[in-house]
Amino acid sequence: MAFRVLRVAAIVELVSLAVLLTNLATAHVAAVASLVGPIHGCAYLFVIGAALQLTRSRTTTALAAVPIVGGLLALRRIRR
Amino acid sequence: MTKVLLSIHVLAAIIAIGPVSVAASMFPAFLRRGDTGALRVLYRICTVYAAIGVVVPVFGLATATSLGVLGDAWLLASIALTVLAAGLLGLAILPRQRSLLGSVSARAEARRLGMLTGLFNLLWAVVVVLMIVRPGSTTGA
Repeated sequence: MAFRVLRVAAIVELVSLAVLLTNLATAHVAAVASLVGPIHGCAYLFVIGAALQLTRSRTTTALAAVPIVGGLLALRRIRR
Repeated sequence: MTKVLLSIHVLAAIIAIGPVSVAASMFPAFLRRGDTGALRVLYRICTVYAAIGVVVPVFGLATATSLGVLGDAWLLASIALTVLAAGLLGLAILPRQRSLLGSVSARAEARRLGMLTGLFNLLWAVVVVLMIVRPGSTTGA
């Protein structure tokens, strides 16, 4: 369960930021920014929560707390 | 967009905090009865929905920013109480529940846990009332 959450949240964390930056560089629609922003924030927190649930390792949790790619880094470390 | 953010915030609060409040309140009663199977389910509800609960403050902050009320006293008080309630849940209630999962009729612990859970529910009730009344705000009911 926590592993699936981590996998989904890690992807959402990265994709939502890509959406935000693309929006910023192109159309800059305020509605997109204010909706996708919190989604990105939630994904970030879900990644940290899932990593805490999956492992007691401080290194993995610290990796999960890295912005943008933390979820993917934690995933890679847990899979190994 | 404020309406969408506020809808998500309220929906998440009802769906995530409600189950935690109910399951945490039922935990001491089942602890007295020594129903370890029920304790496991209740603990799982509490942890899973507490995790989903992070959506509430995130979208709450987004809504507040969108409304331009982030510095208002009623909101700062709500944030402080929310931090207090989250700390109570994450640092006191959930660890205690976890350590009592296998116990049979732990009466003294059940009473203490019941008190903490009651305090947790009271904090949420105060926050909800603050959100509705918004003392000092012109947009309050």
